[in-house]
Amino acid sequence: MSALHALLAGPLGGFGATLLVGVVGIMGYLTFNVLFLIWLERKVAGHIQRRLGPMEVGPHGVLQTVADMLKLLGKQLLTPVATDRFVYLLAPLLVFLPTMCVASLIPLGRAQAFADMPYGLIIIVTLSGLTVLAIFMAGWASNNKYAVLGGMRSVAQVVAYEIPVLLAVLSVVLVAGTTNLHQLVTNPWPRLLGVPVPYGVVEPLAAVIFFIGITAETNRAPFDIPEAESELVGGFHTEYSGMRFAMFFFAEYTNMLVLGALGATLFLGGFRGPFQGAVPLLGPVYLLLKTYLVVFVMMWARWTFPRLRFDQLMSFAWKLLIPLALANLVATAVVLGVLA
Amino acid sequence: MNFTARVARGIKSLLVGLGVTGRHLVRPVVTLQYPHQRPDASHWGGPIELVTFPETGTHDCIACNACARICPSDCFAIEGKRPEGAKKMRATKFLIDFSTCSLCGLCVDVCPTDTLQYSRRYEDVAYRRSLTVNDLLAPFPEDPYFTGKLA
Repeated sequence: MSALHALLAGPLGGFGATLLVGVVGIMGYLTFNVLFLIWLERKVAGHIQRRLGPMEVGPHGVLQTVADMLKLLGKQLLTPVATDRFVYLLAPLLVFLPTMCVASLIPLGRAQAFADMPYGLIIIVTLSGLTVLAIFMAGWASNNKYAVLGGMRSVAQVVAYEIPVLLAVLSVVLVAGTTNLHQLVTNPWPRLLGVPVPYGVVEPLAAVIFFIGITAETNRAPFDIPEAESELVGGFHTEYSGMRFAMFFFAEYTNMLVLGALGATLFLGGFRGPFQGAVPLLGPVYLLLKTYLVVFVMMWARWTFPRLRFDQLMSFAWKLLIPLALANLVATAVVLGVLA
Repeated sequence: MNFTARVARGIKSLLVGLGVTGRHLVRPVVTLQYPHQRPDASHWGGPIELVTFPETGTHDCIACNACARICPSDCFAIEGKRPEGAKKMRATKFLIDFSTCSLCGLCVDVCPTDTLQYSRRYEDVAYRRSLTVNDLLAPFPEDPYFTGKLA
């Protein structure tokens, strides 16, 4: 990436180059990623149910999602009469923006992330909470009882699960001593019995809480009550069709990738791996491998666990997850204090 | 059960669940990719058809109407004619209305010349009810008994 930066730095100026490469690169990759993840999801679901999943379009159905996207592109965009039109049209755009901002903050390799912030982690946590605003806008503006219910559930859920995620992230920050994601990865790892290990090993509870939290934040099963088909038709996106609906889908899968990447960066060592120091290009490869591992486990969980009831979901967050995350944070602080 | 034990049990059950789906994930699939892969239909009892006997190269229906009499659904429409100089009749028309056939197999059992059997067909489709009437003589465009090739 740095070579590309240097190439574009002359004629376009540093900032313009970064912007161009960032937007084109990130958007292109995210589009590819969504198509891949939806295909992967259907494959995982299929094989867990002893089916094959998509098989017809392209080898092993790899082009199935491309065909689906083309279908969605060709569909009529319906706007119900009684919608709050401006908000209704804004929501599908807004749902995607925070995710894209977050995507630019994940460090890809030793060279750089697209944007390197001293408080990157805080910004990510803040931005990822914005998605829910767009989801609620969609639900509210649709003027549909199922959509409003889905939106409200989503808000309640994300508010509840943000806290344990934040606390889990904080315990890693305590160990690492930085909120800069790049430094978080490159700083010397904590040593366990003399062996340097990623933060996930010294903070296993935080890792599990973080994983549960991001599953809930991406509205995925078993926490997918905002769009529980059996209760709420489609939830907040009931009234959206065609590409507007696709934007919500796009956002969900991009969110999975970005939060998976964040999890990989925080707990699994990010872009660090064997020989990464010698071959810088391996950095993004390691990061993506770890990210897709996290995403795969999320898919695996989706096709294993039944959906939680809303009260179970809330009591799980408030009565179990938040106290656990708090205790973990305090324990981390105490251990660090004793060691220091 | 106290709270901790319940939580522990819950975590264990989640892991067990992941184990179950994880095992299925790596096991072979059980579905057939239908148009590309075909099921084994050798034990399938499809619509009734006439047996082709290897000795004569044709069926052996003598239009005795035993099948038509025993049929509980009255699907059969059979006509026969005696070839010149022959002792036995030969079917000249053999229709089964498959829309009323229940595949009970009584005709197969009752046939005195064992010339009825279940076919292996499983893909018959039709857009009109009249097309569900199967002409069982269609695979036998010419009857060697009538053309004099067999006596």
